[in-house]
Amino acid sequence: MTVTESPGRLTFEAFRRNPLGPISVAVLLLMGVVAVAAPLIADYPRGYGEDVLAPPSGAHWFGTDDLGRDVFAQVVWGTRVSIVVGLAASLLAIVVGVLVGVAAAYFKHADAALGVVVDLSLSLPVLPLMILVAALAGPSVPTLVVVIAVFSWPEVARVVRAQGLAVVPLPYVSASHALGGSHLWIIRKHVLPGVAPVVAVSVVLTTSRAVLAEAGLSFLGLGDPDSWSWGAILHNAQRSGSLATAWWTTLFPSLAILLLVVSATLVAVVYNDARDPRTR
Amino acid sequence: MRRILVGIASIALVAAGCSPSNPDGESSGGGASRLTIGTTADVVNYNPLLGNSRTDTWVTNLMYPRLMSMDMEGKRTPYLATKWEYADGGKTAKVTLRDDFTWSDGTKVTADDVIYTIDAVAKEKIGIVAGLIPSYTNATAVSPTEIDFHLSQPDGTFLDNVGFWMPVVPKHVFEKAPSVQKFANDSNWVSAGPYKLETVERGQRYVLKRVDNYPLVDGGKPAAQEVVFRVFPDVNTEALALRNGEIDLIANAVPPALAKTLDGNDKIKTVKVPSLGWAHMQYNVQRKPLDRLEVRQALAAAVDYEAIRRVALQGSAVSSNSSVLTPTLKQWQDTSAKEYTYDTTKAKQLLTGAGYKDGNGDGLLDGLSFRMIYDQADPNIAKWAQLVRDSAKEAGIDIKLEGLERNTYVAKYQERDYDIYAGSWAIMDNPPANLALAFKCKGFINYANACDPALDKLIDEARGKLEQADQKPIIQQAAKMITDQVYDNVLYVEEFTIAHSAQWSGFLTQPSELLSIVNPQSIAQAKKG
Amino acid sequence: MGGSARFMVRRLLRGLLTLWFAATVTFFLLRLLPGDPALAVADPTMTEELYADLLRDYGLDKSLPVQYWHFLAQLAQGNLGVSFRQNQPVLDILLERLPWTLLLAGSSLLVTMVVGIPLGVLAATRAKGLLDRLIQVGGITGQSLFVPSVGVLLLYLFGVRLGWLPIGGAMDDDVTGLAAYASIAKHLILPCLSLVLVQLGSYVLTLRSTLIEALGEDYCRLARAKGLPNRRVVWRHALRNALLPTTTLVGLQLGFLVGGAVLTESIYAYPGVGRAIYDAVAQLDFPVLQGAFIMLAFTVIVANLVTDLAYGVLDPRVRAS
Repeated sequence: MTVTESPGRLTFEAFRRNPLGPISVAVLLLMGVVAVAAPLIADYPRGYGEDVLAPPSGAHWFGTDDLGRDVFAQVVWGTRVSIVVGLAASLLAIVVGVLVGVAAAYFKHADAALGVVVDLSLSLPVLPLMILVAALAGPSVPTLVVVIAVFSWPEVARVVRAQGLAVVPLPYVSASHALGGSHLWIIRKHVLPGVAPVVAVSVVLTTSRAVLAEAGLSFLGLGDPDSWSWGAILHNAQRSGSLATAWWTTLFPSLAILLLVVSATLVAVVYNDARDPRTR
Repeated sequence: MRRILVGIASIALVAAGCSPSNPDGESSGGGASRLTIGTTADVVNYNPLLGNSRTDTWVTNLMYPRLMSMDMEGKRTPYLATKWEYADGGKTAKVTLRDDFTWSDGTKVTADDVIYTIDAVAKEKIGIVAGLIPSYTNATAVSPTEIDFHLSQPDGTFLDNVGFWMPVVPKHVFEKAPSVQKFANDSNWVSAGPYKLETVERGQRYVLKRVDNYPLVDGGKPAAQEVVFRVFPDVNTEALALRNGEIDLIANAVPPALAKTLDGNDKIKTVKVPSLGWAHMQYNVQRKPLDRLEVRQALAAAVDYEAIRRVALQGSAVSSNSSVLTPTLKQWQDTSAKEYTYDTTKAKQLLTGAGYKDGNGDGLLDGLSFRMIYDQADPNIAKWAQLVRDSAKEAGIDIKLEGLERNTYVAKYQERDYDIYAGSWAIMDNPPANLALAFKCKGFINYANACDPALDKLIDEARGKLEQADQKPIIQQAAKMITDQVYDNVLYVEEFTIAHSAQWSGFLTQPSELLSIVNPQSIAQAKKG
Repeated sequence: MGGSARFMVRRLLRGLLTLWFAATVTFFLLRLLPGDPALAVADPTMTEELYADLLRDYGLDKSLPVQYWHFLAQLAQGNLGVSFRQNQPVLDILLERLPWTLLLAGSSLLVTMVVGIPLGVLAATRAKGLLDRLIQVGGITGQSLFVPSVGVLLLYLFGVRLGWLPIGGAMDDDVTGLAAYASIAKHLILPCLSLVLVQLGSYVLTLRSTLIEALGEDYCRLARAKGLPNRRVVWRHALRNALLPTTTLVGLQLGFLVGGAVLTESIYAYPGVGRAIYDAVAQLDFPVLQGAFIMLAFTVIVANLVTDLAYGVLDPRVRAS
């Protein structure tokens, strides 16, 4: 190891070496492009078509649903909603989680209380609670985002706190203190960059979990009926009785979910391995 | 280690606490004698007089008789009652009962049970039946099988209503409860149907065993020894179970798309059962600008009726020609009725003629934005609501869809908080009675908020007549008025597909999802092979 | 107080604290949301008497602190409210369903561990090798599966196509004794398999990473330096510590399982608490939804408590921490 190689460079190299890393990033980018360029790829699925529940063919790559609408278009537009909801929920969760995690790591007296809150939140079965809240609040995209975020932040806080606890006692932090730096400045300059890698991983992981949570809630009928998401496509298939008969209405959205979540998780895992000198 | 302990602890807990239930009585002699029926919801309420879900009705129908049944034309046929007529200029209704019905504890079903039931319903104002017999005062038992009902005024709807809608409950059981409305009736059932309820495993199954003396089947003994209702919350799993032979019949109507798949399967037979109701949109005439006839006519012209039936319903629906007298009720149907024409250009013309313009050039006429509410859980309506919105847009009308969850939907339509109401009736079997509730000023289910004195007069006149033949022309006039005034935009009459195993036959089909092939007589005579 | 007694008391108090936390979260969540909180307790279409009774029981006409007190009081008495749609106490409904969910979750947990531990060990000891990569990808794929899709696929494959296993339900009727247990087992296979497929992934991955960390620790190096065979090091020392998770980690597993059960039980028509939740969602039966969450939280807490206590008794080092 040459002395001029920075940890960042080493991480990047290790990441690149593992074939799974770059492939997953490519897949994620591709999905991002699909989400942004949805209008260019397929027409917004609306109205109805004549070919109801048609299997995949040249005209309809993913077949049609129970109203004759193109499933390919639904999956493409669903990419948008699912990713947006996943990302929005995860970002919200990240903000709250980082605040709580850093506060717990930095301010010792807050740690006891906050630590307990985080631990307790983690022991609860969240899906039933998410269902209760979503059912009461009514189906809409903002509701879903908030509900998922509210139940995802403890995991982020836990991880950030753990990392923060490793950073805070480091010598340069106490040195800054001695030099007269304010709490806020120290947090911004030292602690946050210290927890940044963990946060980066968290964003990706939380997003993928959020996508699964959104799919689950939409599948139960708690999603936004006016927007297409992968969970909504599956919900439609379930309601119209085509879940087990028209396999294309089930397979393609499920594959989309699988693809997104697997890629996101792989990116996080490979990055984590690359970052850690022991597993590089 | 810890996790292994958790696993073992859980299993031990269960093994200790959950012993498999032991069915009472003899086990059936083999699958050949058991009819397994799939349903998507549990029985919630065993008291047949209270408002019920479908599963409640299917199960209680097998236990409690009614005075009359119905044939495929919507006409009343004998069941517990053999004949019925009006006397005293319509102020008395006379009914004669069969004498061979017995309750499962040996007591005979008599006029006393019928009178007890109707008195309880009227006194405690129970459910829809109470709303259907407003003219009832009291009744006398001329003999154990003859009843005279006394009415406050001549009412030509009384017999058909009480005959079809009111199940008869055993007086000697129900009178023990402080109030019939509060009587749960959830155990020790005393029934007079072809089967009696023996075991209930909530969430899983309801087991009924046959009786030996059901009068309405040859020989008195139903063919199948046992009828079991099995609960599947997901219709997809239910269909798989039917294909696999694990259940023999699916009681809930199969969604149109799924019906098509099952049609092609030679181990399964499908039966088409017409609905006794209809699906519709109603425009709230007490809100501007829906009080203007041109606006309602334009809305009616902006709906693609054919597409809705063909696509949203997959062809499992027939047109009612925009009339509230549907083709299912052949004895009332007005064959001269014609459906509103789908013509978005004409719709636009009607509106611009009425003074509406598109000020901001967005393709929508200003001031024409409507909120349409519907029950989000209803898969059919959720589909055609979108079609309606899209075609209305072409006519320059903006419809905002509000698919609501059930509670909110019910609250809103009870308060009439909407511009357009989209929904469907399950059963509207007796036009003189139904039109009164649905279209008279302040009618209980008058979702159009219509208040038209000419219409009210026609409806009242029809109700006063005692013979269907006399009621018919008046009712047809009223129906035409409803169509012309667009008080109700009848979109279609659904045709339910009921699927059953090809190994079973002998079913008797009746209209409506509540009867279809799971009505008591049908189940009693169904046999395997 | 002796060390172990103090340990038990602490764990018990912690359990109670978590339960109180779950109840409080539910209470405040429902009141923070827009809309009428009475909706969660009493259905406007109920009879007037019942509606008034419920409002009074929950003090919905009084101030927030009073309401909170009423809520906790009712909970302490085991009153989870009355179901809107079924006119029955929620507690009764859920208690009927609970054994089935416990059976499903318990067996899934067991199978996950039996299969997952060897896989985790394999991956960790052969870190960065091909086998490890395969297990990693397999694990990640597993935890990314959408439960209902998996359920339907399995049903179709094993139920219809192959016809080996029954479709839906928890057991057949008219079977007794040994045949009944066999029937229960047969009906359990597919739902359990669905849950395991999804859960195995995250379990193996977590085990793998904690094991890798443990293997790199000093005491393992020391053990190896002492000449102990590698196998011994892995299974006896590293694994034991890797399996020594914080309560929250196990809680996560069980919590996830119980949540995943909602989707699984509805597809498989399995009559557990998850099914009750599914039915209640469609009908907006809020008392059932709320009660189910609290009951599930309670179950998770009790399960963790029992194992914590048992483990504490078995392993003195845990008590000291």
